Amino acid sequence: MPKVIKTRTEFEGHVFEEYVVVEGEGLSAWDAQTPLRYIGRQIPRTDGPERVTGKAVYTFDVQLPGMLYGKILRSPHPHARIKSINTQRAERLPGVRAVLSFKNAPKLSFRQGQTFLFDEIVRYVGDEVACVIADEEEIAEDALELIEVEYERLPFVLDPEEALRPEAPNVQPSGNLLNGKPDIYERGDLDRGFSQADLIVERTFRTQCALHNCLETHGSVALWEGDALTVWDSTQHIFGVRAGLAQLLGLPLHKVRVIKRYMGGGFGSKNGLGKYTVIAALGAKATGRPVKIMLDRHEENLAAGNRPSTIQHLKVGARRDGTLTALELKAIVNAGAFCTWPPSVGGPARQLYLCPNVKTEQYTVFTNTGPLSAFRAPGYVEGTFALESLMDELAHELKIDPLELRLKNYAEIDQTTGRPYSTKGLREAYERGAKLFGWKALTSNPSPVAHLRERGGAVGERATKLRGVGMASQIWSGNGMPPAYAIVKINPDGTATVVTGTQDIGTGTKTVLAQIAAEELGFPIEKISVEIGDTQLGLYAPLSAGSMTVASVGPAVRLAAHEARQQLLDVAAQVLEVPRESLAICDGLLSSPALKEAVAIKDVLEKLENFMIIGRGAREPNPEDVAVNTFGAQFAEVTVDTETGEVKVERIVAVHDSGRVINPLTLSSQIEGGIIQGLGYALFEQRVVDRNTGVVVNDNLENYKLPTALDIPEIVFEMVDRPDHRANNLGAKGVGEPPIIPTAAAIANAVANALGIRIYELPLTREKILKALKRV
Amino acid sequence: MRSFEHVNALNIQTTVALLSEPSTEAIAGGTDLLGELKARLRSPQRLVNLKTLSKLREIRYSPRVGLRLGALVTLAEIERHPVVQERFPILAQAASSAATPQLRHMGTIGGNLCQKPRCWYYRNKLFHCWLKGGDICFAEDGENKYHAILGADRCHAVHPSDLAPALIALDATVCVVGPEVEGEISLEELYTKPTERHRRMTILGPGELITEIRVPPPKKNARGVYLKAMERGSWSFALVSVAAQMSLEGERITDARIALGGVAAIPWRARESERLLVGQEFSEELAERAAEAAVAGAQPLRDNGYKVPLAKSLVKRALEISIRERSDM
Repeated sequence: MPKVIKTRTEFEGHVFEEYVVVEGEGLSAWDAQTPLRYIGRQIPRTDGPERVTGKAVYTFDVQLPGMLYGKILRSPHPHARIKSINTQRAERLPGVRAVLSFKNAPKLSFRQGQTFLFDEIVRYVGDEVACVIADEEEIAEDALELIEVEYERLPFVLDPEEALRPEAPNVQPSGNLLNGKPDIYERGDLDRGFSQADLIVERTFRTQCALHNCLETHGSVALWEGDALTVWDSTQHIFGVRAGLAQLLGLPLHKVRVIKRYMGGGFGSKNGLGKYTVIAALGAKATGRPVKIMLDRHEENLAAGNRPSTIQHLKVGARRDGTLTALELKAIVNAGAFCTWPPSVGGPARQLYLCPNVKTEQYTVFTNTGPLSAFRAPGYVEGTFALESLMDELAHELKIDPLELRLKNYAEIDQTTGRPYSTKGLREAYERGAKLFGWKALTSNPSPVAHLRERGGAVGERATKLRGVGMASQIWSGNGMPPAYAIVKINPDGTATVVTGTQDIGTGTKTVLAQIAAEELGFPIEKISVEIGDTQLGLYAPLSAGSMTVASVGPAVRLAAHEARQQLLDVAAQVLEVPRESLAICDGLLSSPALKEAVAIKDVLEKLENFMIIGRGAREPNPEDVAVNTFGAQFAEVTVDTETGEVKVERIVAVHDSGRVINPLTLSSQIEGGIIQGLGYALFEQRVVDRNTGVVVNDNLENYKLPTALDIPEIVFEMVDRPDHRANNLGAKGVGEPPIIPTAAAIANAVANALGIRIYELPLTREKILKALKRV
Repeated sequence: MRSFEHVNALNIQTTVALLSEPSTEAIAGGTDLLGELKARLRSPQRLVNLKTLSKLREIRYSPRVGLRLGALVTLAEIERHPVVQERFPILAQAASSAATPQLRHMGTIGGNLCQKPRCWYYRNKLFHCWLKGGDICFAEDGENKYHAILGADRCHAVHPSDLAPALIALDATVCVVGPEVEGEISLEELYTKPTERHRRMTILGPGELITEIRVPPPKKNARGVYLKAMERGSWSFALVSVAAQMSLEGERITDARIALGGVAAIPWRARESERLLVGQEFSEELAERAAEAAVAGAQPLRDNGYKVPLAKSLVKRALEISIRERSDM
């Protein structure tokens, strides 16, 4: 019988209490004695061949008969009122089928009422103004140039500190501060904490705005069949898109189907319903033909979200022995024009270290720039850079080894809830990482903060390079949560199909779910297929974000497989006329001491005509008495060319604790990918907005600098790989976000170590290095 | 991009005639032009495909006349050519530092030398900048970390080519044909600061084409290097680049040619540095002075001041590497 449970869960630094319905019997995670055939093994991606041979159909590749293309006209102004819009010339262009704008499209509220699908006020350069639907993409683009828009330009503000001033123009009618007040967290007594400190260090850190640049841009294909809508969408949450479309278009849920087969990345930017999806649905309705809208790279970098820039004032108090007494953060986040999900910049300050007196205060500020979205560990990447930089400064001031200082302030419990951690492998991560890296040898001589001069360097005998080392730590949720549902069907030929409504956003979810089902069923993995990414055929699963897909959906799949296996054993015992408890399933064969030889499942089920075994599974609730988190530490070694300002990351050592490892191959993609993305954030990546016009001038892959193969250092990583038996029935936690969190902080600490001077702002460009060295 | 007619070039003569017609442009590798067409900066009605001019795809070398590169030779071919690698290493270095392998397989030397600036205001349709016929340079008071520190006037864009500074250091010339001209000029003469009446970075007019690049045989005891500072390890235009070619007799510098990329609207010849070097024996102090002279008169904007020490460091380093490599011989 389904049970209704009230549960408290953490998602990306926000805590929720909600009802969930769960069902099925509890299973505990496999213990060390259980032999495992698939879990923990290097299983290549089950859909790898179709991905690398170009056969996989991504949203971008969907081609439907009679399909039209939409192109969106975007605001050239950072803030303006549309006085008039004339689409007649565009409509008359041969091949144009419809032009949508606020004049003829329904007035649909978007982003929790902060704007409309087509708003008469545009609030950033790139805001949606109109959309042309045409036979070809080129025709639609030609037609965009024929739309005549008269704008009344309004005063605008780009800088979040300026936006907080009373005289600043309002980006949103309610003012420029989200919710009209800062988001404040407090524990203990901050003043008392600072008064107990022997040393107080106070600094201001700045982080830049970073763009996701998913390989596959955002986009959708919409098709109406009668009153039913099908949408192919490049999304991290098919059920979220379904709910959003149904609500906006006034459709019942069974008339909206959202499909996402393959996807080229999301990193948080595809968590929600996009305007392009709704516009495609309206365009398809208006023309009676399917419509595809895919953003181009330029639109992607204007309007598809970003990691917002931050300004963080951090103040820490400590005793002479390094014990923290107080920690205070005041953060300003540049949300852009809209914000429904502020990142939690104060998360690391609240959780990472043992400190009784903590206050975090976050001002999320609207400006006339492209709106933020989640971006791989939102808030924590930014917050960790500042906190871990400050910890290094504190260590330097106190003449304590940076790693020692961190161990000194190790938190055994989650101080925001008072609960102990289910498992916490950070100490092992520190110790193992330090050993793999050679931390002690590199930092012991001649002083705690070592300046190791490169002899020789690039030029003759002149030393031109400085070498430095640094480290940083990470905390993140990654706990997963209900609700998530799955069924496992066993077919008469002894194959099985896993059905759930999650989505593989490129991380390998499909492969991991196949492993879990194969393990629980006792079937060869080749006999498992996984059907996901379809709201009509699948069962509800949460968004693929917050490093929670495996830890949310995986346990439901295991329960479904378990139930299917029970049913299989029930019928097999009766068909084979052997005691049920004597039966075992391994490699797709049924065996029993009562049988002469093992029997193929097929041979049993084929006797039962087309009997279908269906096992159901639902994600169990999270434990109420412990905090489930992920941890890790990274160590970086860099060289800095003092003449040219070039920073080269020589190597990164990473050790993370995300509970049980299900697949070391898909895991390594996450760890390495996170570190590389973190390196780009540390050194190169930065959205540049023209201060005079609000235009993003590097809205392309030429000038928005992602790391290239030549920038990638030697990466050595290990996992603590200790199953978390309290987390869920797999003992596994998420690993998508943890690896990006400490990378920039570790690199920044290594650069500060090399230079003997700290740079308080990311990215660490040649300009900043040369300025720090007083060469500019 | 907008639709256009695509015609194959038959021979140089008819190509020049075609290109002299309005709304007609040449296309070879297309790596530069296609970007402009997609951004709708220009919408020519006809493109003339030069790739059918097979005579322009040859690389020839003789010790007496030197190196002859047809305008359609790709950067990848230059980078890999054994004679270029052996006799003109700075050219091979410059070619291999440009863009990515994919782009180098498409991009031609002729197109590389004539490419348009990468200035993000020039490349963005929302800005009608001075170079595109407008009234102002948006970089002057805008986002200018990539812009010029030397010799800028109405426009602050820099010339983006990696090969141009290397070829200027090698004293290269180019053969130009056009409706009214046919001849050979030094590569340095090809480049011009854009002016009120001629808002372009080369002197080429409508219908005028580069057909061949000529590099004289290397001087005795010649040594050189191409150094390029980028924002990341590859696939970037130069923040600053330096091509230095020197000749020595014993310890004495007998010839020096230094050209910088990424600092001005044209590949920037550091003549004062060269003058300081020639006739002198090399020393670190001399390299320092030559480096200083290379950026004399620099007028950085708000965000590009770092290019001054960066250019100095690269010039000094280029000189030191050239000398050291000689002593290694």
